[in-house]
Amino acid sequence: MTLLSVRDLNVTFGTPEGDVRAVQGVSFDIEPGETVAIVGESGSGKSVTANSLLRLNFGADVRISGEILLEGRDVLTMTEDEVRSVRGSDMAMIFQDPLTALNPFYTVGRQIGEAYAIHHPGATKKELREIALNSLEKVGIPEPLKRVDQYPHEFSGGMRQRIVIAMALVNNPKILIADEPTTALDVTVQAQILELIAEMQAQHGSAVILITHDLGVVAEITERVMVMYAGRVVESASVENTFAVPTHPYTRGLLKSVKSLDTARHERLEPIPGTPPSLIKLPSGCPFHPRCAFADSLGGRCSSEAPELRIVGSSRSACHLPDERLLGLMGGAS
Amino acid sequence: MKKRSKVLAVAALVGLVAGACGGSGDGAKSGEESGGRSATMDGVKDGGTLYVLTMQEGASTLDPQRVYTGAELGAWGSTFTRTLTTYKPVAGKDGTTLVPDMATDLGTASDDLKTWSFTMRDGIKWEDGSDVTCGDIAYGVSRTFAAEVTAGEGPMYALSYLDIPEGDSDFGSAYPGPWLATPEQQALFDEAVSCDGNTITFKLGVPVADFNYTVGLLAFAPVPKDQDTADQYGLKPFSNGPFKVESYEEGKELVLVRNENWSKDTDEVREPKVDKIVWQFGLDEAVIDERMLADAGDDKNAIVYGGILPENLQTVFGDDTLKDRRTDGFDGFVSYTMFNVESVSCVEVRQAVWLALDREALRTAAGGPFTGEFAKSFVAPLLAADYEPAKLVDGLNEDGTPNVEAAKAKLEEAKTKCPEVYAKATEDGLRFDHPDSDTWKKNIAIWIESLGAAGIKINDNPIEASKYYATINGDRGDLMRAGWAADWANASTVIPELFGEGGGFNYHNNEGDAAFADFQAKVDEAKAETDRAKQSKLWKELNQYVIDQVWSIPGSATKSQNLVGSNVRGAFQWLPFGWYNLGGVGLAG
Amino acid sequence: MFAVVLLLIVSAFTFWIFSALPSDPAALTCGKNCRPEVIEANRERLGYDKPLVEQYGAYMKGIFAGRTYGEEGASVHCPAPSLGYSYDRHECVTSLIASTLPVTASIALGAFVLWMAIGVGLGTLAALKRGRWQDRLATGFSVVGVSFPTFFLGLMFIMIFVIWTGILPFPRYTGITENPVDWFMALILPWFVLALISAATYVRMTRNGILEVMNEEFVRLGIAKGLPRKRLIVTYVMRAALVPIVTIAGLDFAFLLGGALVTESIFNLPGLGKLTLAAVVNSDLPILVATTMVAAVFIVIANAVVDVLYGYLDPRVRVK
Repeated sequence: MTLLSVRDLNVTFGTPEGDVRAVQGVSFDIEPGETVAIVGESGSGKSVTANSLLRLNFGADVRISGEILLEGRDVLTMTEDEVRSVRGSDMAMIFQDPLTALNPFYTVGRQIGEAYAIHHPGATKKELREIALNSLEKVGIPEPLKRVDQYPHEFSGGMRQRIVIAMALVNNPKILIADEPTTALDVTVQAQILELIAEMQAQHGSAVILITHDLGVVAEITERVMVMYAGRVVESASVENTFAVPTHPYTRGLLKSVKSLDTARHERLEPIPGTPPSLIKLPSGCPFHPRCAFADSLGGRCSSEAPELRIVGSSRSACHLPDERLLGLMGGAS
Repeated sequence: MKKRSKVLAVAALVGLVAGACGGSGDGAKSGEESGGRSATMDGVKDGGTLYVLTMQEGASTLDPQRVYTGAELGAWGSTFTRTLTTYKPVAGKDGTTLVPDMATDLGTASDDLKTWSFTMRDGIKWEDGSDVTCGDIAYGVSRTFAAEVTAGEGPMYALSYLDIPEGDSDFGSAYPGPWLATPEQQALFDEAVSCDGNTITFKLGVPVADFNYTVGLLAFAPVPKDQDTADQYGLKPFSNGPFKVESYEEGKELVLVRNENWSKDTDEVREPKVDKIVWQFGLDEAVIDERMLADAGDDKNAIVYGGILPENLQTVFGDDTLKDRRTDGFDGFVSYTMFNVESVSCVEVRQAVWLALDREALRTAAGGPFTGEFAKSFVAPLLAADYEPAKLVDGLNEDGTPNVEAAKAKLEEAKTKCPEVYAKATEDGLRFDHPDSDTWKKNIAIWIESLGAAGIKINDNPIEASKYYATINGDRGDLMRAGWAADWANASTVIPELFGEGGGFNYHNNEGDAAFADFQAKVDEAKAETDRAKQSKLWKELNQYVIDQVWSIPGSATKSQNLVGSNVRGAFQWLPFGWYNLGGVGLAG
Repeated sequence: MFAVVLLLIVSAFTFWIFSALPSDPAALTCGKNCRPEVIEANRERLGYDKPLVEQYGAYMKGIFAGRTYGEEGASVHCPAPSLGYSYDRHECVTSLIASTLPVTASIALGAFVLWMAIGVGLGTLAALKRGRWQDRLATGFSVVGVSFPTFFLGLMFIMIFVIWTGILPFPRYTGITENPVDWFMALILPWFVLALISAATYVRMTRNGILEVMNEEFVRLGIAKGLPRKRLIVTYVMRAALVPIVTIAGLDFAFLLGGALVTESIFNLPGLGKLTLAAVVNSDLPILVATTMVAAVFIVIANAVVDVLYGYLDPRVRVK
C-alpha cells in the first residue's frame, strides 16, 4: 500500500478581502523511505500543503477538500484525537526556524521526553530521560548529559535544529516533514543539517518530505521533486530530470535564477520577470502565463485554459507547450 | 470663636460648582424649618443605637481644652464632658438659657465681677467611679496654658481673664501650663484658680459680667490628672457624662456607650435615650445624602454631621414628605470682610466698597440662598437676645446686587474729603488678604470685577491657608476676610472680640479712628453690665455703630440644612451650637 | 542589596521633597489663636528648625531606635520603628500605618485574586473562543470596564446592593481576626469594584498575549508533536502568555498596597489611601512622608519580587 497518497487537495482561506486559494488540485504519492521535495517560491502553496498533511492549517475560516490517505486512512476525516495520535508519531515535522520552534520555558530534555511521552503514556521519567539523552547523542549534540538539562536559548541555531530533529525522530515516524529546515541557518550549518536528515532517514527508514525554495538543498538529498506555483503542482520529476530536463517554463526560470551548484557553468543569472500572482485574484487560464516567455507563442490559449498535469518524457508537466518544446527548454543541453 | 468645621468649608466649595450650574431654579426655597416630628420626642423609646454619618475623617478633637467647633462643643458636652454650667437642651430661644450643670447654681460673683465662685454638686463621678473633684476642674483649666499640648486650638479665655501676670510662655503668660511649670509658676495658677472643698474660685484680672457663661465652654471642663496623656488625651478622654468613649479611630469610627457611673441624680440637664452612639467617619458626601434619602435599615436611626450637598437641596426641600426629617436654619456664623481702618481711614471709601460689592454674586458662587442670608449684623440671628438687624448704609441694595451709582457718589465725596485714601483706592489699589483656596480664587475675582465697575482697584494677596491668621496678626492688608460665631450666648463674645481694644480677633487697626474712644467706652460699659436687657440694648447700639463706621462689611449669616432618619427624635437645632443636642437624641420604633 | 540602597535614596528624596513644600509644618500645629511665638516654639519642639540633614538623621535614627516627641511631662514616645509623630492625629505614625495597612492589604489581596481570576479567566476564554460571542462579551467588558471611573462604579454598587436592594449592609471594616464574616461582607463590594476595573485591562492583556503566543512557532510545534489541546494551552500557551502579565500584576498589586484611594473613600475603609488623603487635606507632613515611603517600599519590594519571579518563570532571563 502507498504510504501516503494525496488526492486532489484543495485548501482555501477565507479572508475579508476574499478567498485565498492556497492549494488547488494537488495530488501525489509517497512511498516508504522515499525523499520528495516540494519546491516553490513563498506563496506557492508548498508549506500549506505540508501543514495540511497534519491538519496544521489554523485560522478562522479554512476549507480543505480532497483526500490525504495515510496508509489508507484519510487524515482529513479523522477525529481530533485520531489526528493527534498521528501527529508526532506517524508523521513528524521539522520547522523552519529552530530559534522559535522550541518552547523557551522548558529544558530540551524535557521537550524531547515530552514528544515521546505523548505517544507512550506509560513511560517513566527515567525512561524519558534515557530517551532524551540517546536522542541528543544520536543527533550529534556533544556532552548530552550536561546539555539535556539546558534551555533552548543556551544552544546555537544549528544545535537547536538538531534538537528539533531529535524530537521529530523520537517516535520513529513513517514520514518526516521538513519545512525549510535549513533556511534560517548559516550556510556551513545547512549542509550539516541536511546530512543529518539524510543520515537519520537512512537509520530510521522514514520517508522525508522536504519543503524548500532552495534548489541547491533539493539536489543534495532528494529523489523526486514537485514544483509548485500559485497553489498548483506545475512539474513533478526525478531530481536528475528536474535539473537536466526541466519540462515547465517556471522550473526553467527557477533553475536559471539560482547559482548553479555546478560551478563550471558561468551562466548569467536570469530572474523570472514579474511577481507571483495574488492568490485571491488568480490569472485566468495558466496562472503562470503573465510571467511566461512562451505564452505569446500559443496565441490566447494560456490565458484561457488551465493546463492539466500530463506526462512529458519521464516527467509530468502542466504546460500547453508541445512536448518537444518542453523537453528542449534548456536549450538542447541535456 | 468657634472654628467652622472642615465639612462646611468643603460643602461651600462644592456648592460653588453647583451654584455655577444655576442651582437656584424653582421649587424649593430656603426658609427656616425646625425638623417637624424629628425635633419632638413623639414615640421615643429608650435604647437603640444612634448613628452619626459624616464625611469628616474624624472629630476635630475630643480633648475638652482643644475643642472649639460649635457642633462638637454641644455634642461632647451633652455626652461625655460635663462643665460647671451649660445651656438648656431645648429647641428655640430657650436653648440659649444658661443652667447649672456640675455646679449647684450659676455661680456667685464678687469683688466687682473679678472673683467668681461655683460650688459643685455631690456625687459626680468619673467613668471609673472615682469622684470628680474641684482639683480636676482646676487641672483642666490649667491645660489651656500649655501651648505644647493645646496648641492654641481651643478658646483662650482662661489666659485673657484669669489673674495671672504676663510672662514669657509661648502664650505670653507667666504660667506655662502644668507640664513645664516650676513650683513657683504653678503657685501663680493655684492662686488664680483655687479650691475649697467643693467650691472652686476663679480670680480674674478684669471684671467679667458673664463669666458663668465662660465656664460653660469645654475648655473649663475637668480632666483627671492621672488620666491625662497630654497630646494624646483627645484620643481617649475621660468621661463624667452619660456616655463614655468606647473606641475612637480616626478615619473609621467613634463609639460612645452609656457610662454606668453617671447618675441622673447628679445631672438635671441631660436625658439620654439611646444606649450607643456610633460616628461613622470618612463617608462620601454623595453616599451620605443617598443613604439619608433612602432611609433604609440602620440609616433610619442616623443623623448627619456636615449638612446636605448643595445639588441635593432642591430634592430635599422640594419634597414635602421629608418635612418631618429636615431642618434649615442659621448655624451661628457670620462672615465679614475687615477693613484696616488705619490704612483705609476714610468712611466714604469704606462705604463705597460696600455699595459696589456684588454680594449676590458671592452668595451664588457659594451655593445660593441655602448657604445664608445677607448679614445685617455682626451678631448672628441665633443669638436672639442680642440680635437686631442694623440700619445699613444708604443705597445698599436689599437683593445683594451692587449699587454702582451710589458707590461712585461716595467716592466723589471722598475725593475732596480724603484725597489720599481716594487715590489709594482708585489708583494704587487696596490689598485684599485672604486664605489661598479654590473658593477664594473665585471670590476674589468677583471682588475685583464688581469693585472695578465703580472705579475701585483691588490687589489680590492670597496667603497660605494654614498661616493666614498668624500672618495678618503681623502684616495686615487693607481688606481681610474672616468669619465668627459667638463663643457663648452673649454678644460679649462678638463685639469686643472683633472690634474692641485688645479683642482677640480685632485686626481692624481701628484704635486710631476718631470714633474709637466713644466706642470703647461703651464696650466697657456693656461688659460690666449685669442687667441682661440693658446689656443687649448696648450691644445692638454698638453693632449699629460699627456698621455706620464700616470697620467691617458684614457678609452672610450662614445657614445649614440637615436631614435625619425617620426614627430619629429630639433632633432640633440647638441654638448655641448650631447642631443637635446629641446626648438627648432618641429613637422611635 | 540594591533594593536597600534604593530605599535609602527614596526615603531621603521623599524627605527632601516634602520639606521643600511651601506649607509650614510648624504652623499646622497651631490653632487659630496662634501667635508667631507659638509657631516658633513648636518648630523648635518638632525639630523643624534644624538643618534638613540633621532632621533626616533623626528620622532615620527613629526608625531603628524609636523617638520621643515633645518635651518633658508632655512628651510622647514612639517605639522603634518610629516613622514620626502626627500632631494632627496625636498618634505615632507607625501605629497609624499599622492600623491602616491591614485594611489596605485586605482590599488589595482580595481584589487582586478576583481581578486576576476574572481578567485572566475572561481573557483566556476570549482568546480561545476568538471571534465568537464569548470573545465579544469579554472584549466588550474590557472596554466598558476601562472606561468606568472607580468612583462611579463604586457609587453604583452602593446604590444597587446597599441602598436600593439592601442585599448587603453598608461596608464597615472589621478586622479578619475579629470577625471574618463581617470582614468579608465589608470587603466584597470594594473587591469587585477594583477587580472589575483592573480586570478589564487584564482581559485585554491576557487575550492579546494568548493570541500572540498561539502564533508562536513553538506552539505549532507543540501541536505537531501531538500535544493534547488542554495541555498545550496550559503548559505552552498560558505559561508563556502569563509571564509579562505576572510582571505587571506584581507592580499593580504593589501600587494597590500603597493605598486604594478612591475605593477606600467611597466604601469608607480606613486604609492607607484614606490616611494619605486625609494627610494631604490636613498637610500632615509626618504621615505623608511615611505613607509615601511605605508605598515606595512596596514598589521596591514588588520590583525585586517580580525580578526574582520573572527569572523563575522565564529561564531566558535567569541570572547564572
